[in-house]
This record gives sequence, C-alpha cells and structure tokens, in this order.
Amino acid sequence: MLTFVVGGAGSGKSAYAEQLLAACPGPRYYLATMQVWDEECRRRVERHRALRAGQGFRTLECPRNLGGLLLPERGAVLLEDLTNLVANERYDPDGAGKNTLQAVCRGLEQLYCQCTDLIVVGNELFCGGTDYAGDTVEYLKLLAALHRRLAARADNVCEVVAGCPVYYKGKEPVYGPV
Amino acid sequence: MDLGVDAVILITGPLFAGKTDFSHTLWPDVATFDDHVCLNAQTLAENCPNLPALADRLAAQYAVITLTEVGGGVVPTDPAQRAAREAAGRLGCLLAARADTVVRVFCGLPLVLKGDLPQ
Repeated sequence: MLTFVVGGAGSGKSAYAEQLLAACPGPRYYLATMQVWDEECRRRVERHRALRAGQGFRTLECPRNLGGLLLPERGAVLLEDLTNLVANERYDPDGAGKNTLQAVCRGLEQLYCQCTDLIVVGNELFCGGTDYAGDTVEYLKLLAALHRRLAARADNVCEVVAGCPVYYKGKEPVYGPV
Repeated sequence: MDLGVDAVILITGPLFAGKTDFSHTLWPDVATFDDHVCLNAQTLAENCPNLPALADRLAAQYAVITLTEVGGGVVPTDPAQRAAREAAGRLGCLLAARADTVVRVFCGLPLVLKGDLPQ
C-alpha cells in the first residue's frame, strides 16, 4: 500500500509516518534523503535518529538517484522526505537537474516495486504566497507537480495538522501480515 | 454539470494544488468558463476598500470561485504585502460564508469543507 503523508514544519508528520511504518509487517526501512551539509543538518539527523531508536527500523541513506536503490530485502519503507530528495536532484551538480520530475517519479515507481508498503513524507510549503527570490517559485511548482502525481497514485493521502492526520484520500492504512 | 440556480462553489487551497483543474471539472464548458468562473480571487482583495461588498459581488456574479491560501509562512516585513495577504484571508472567510459549497483542493484532491458538490 502507498501512503503519502504531508504536513508543515513541526506538524508531527514524521512521528505519524514512523508510527505507520512501525505498524508494517516484515523488514522496515527508513530511507533518509537529507544531504548533511552543516552542523544544523547533523543536529536534525541526530534528533530524528534518537526518535527512531528502538523502533526496529533499518536506516538507508539515499540523498538522490532513488532509481538506483536496491532494498536488501522486500519490506516496508518510509521515505523521509520528498522535499529534500527533489532539492538534491534539482540542485546538486550530480543530480537529475531539469529532468528531476521524471527521475523522481521513476525512482518512486522502482522503489515501490521492491516494497510491501511505502510511506512517503512531504512538506506543505504552498501557503506562503509567491513572493520568493530566485528559483524558489519554480522549485515549488516542480514539487507541487510531484505531490499531485504522487497523490493521484497513492492509496492514502493525508495532511498532518497539529499531530492529527486529515485524510484527503483513502484512510489510515491497516497493515496485514506478510 | 448542473450546478443549480445561483449556487456558488468556493475552491480554496495552497499554491499549485490543482484548484484551476478542479474548477474545469465543475464548469466544463470552455466557451462560458470565464463568465462563470473567477480564478485567483485573492488577487482582487489587495487594496480593496470594501471586502464584504466584493464578496457579495463575486458570489452574485460567479458560480465557481477559486482562491489561493497565502496566509501561511512568515509574516512579510513589507506593509503592503502584509495587508494584501490578510485581505486575501478575510475575503476567503467572506466568500466561504456566502458559498453553498466550500472545497479545499490539496495535492489535486478535493475535500468538501461545507455543503455538497453537485452530482
């Protein structure tokens, strides 16, 4: 089953998505997409690692080139998050650049083929107007297009508001035995 | 699709969420689309001296109105931008109060917040 979890900063989307992953049967993988650039990134990664400790997730790192990822075993995956993955593909000199939309869509399909269940976390970045410097609006447009495609493809789509999931499609997944 | 006489549908949602696409499903006739569908009503709120009167006029003139939510994120330091996004939010409230149906489109998916969508 494919579930898309979206939320603003500090909305509780990560904790909710991790709760969904914890309920999945079989091997559980946490797919981390953040490229560690500086001390702030490191602290953020540490905080998330501490939150995940003891939940029985295996962490895989994939800051870009999702299509090249091979899961060690078929299992459930939490991809956190789409925003970082897209930014890395779009702006890293080794990333997909102008072909980011296609590359990420294809990467998600290839990942999903290897999964029993896939949970993707995305950021709600689209309620702050359009007055941004440089390439930001183009980035938002790209990310929004990906959100709409993923939402169309997903079985369940929710926005997490103050820790509460609001479902726009499907419902909170109930995972059966493998 | 028959929207019913004088029925008004407000479509709200974040930027690039698929609001315009959804408005086309409610009013499929391209020839009369512009006469019956108001896109991006939030842009009309800026510098508007009388928002309730604007909301009255839009609700009387159009069957479908779309409005982008722009009130999230950091409060702008520029007073004009600050006033514009506040006015956009207020217009949204005024239109929702006048609308028979309010739909929020999120990632291309509609969620009915008030009333019902026409069959």
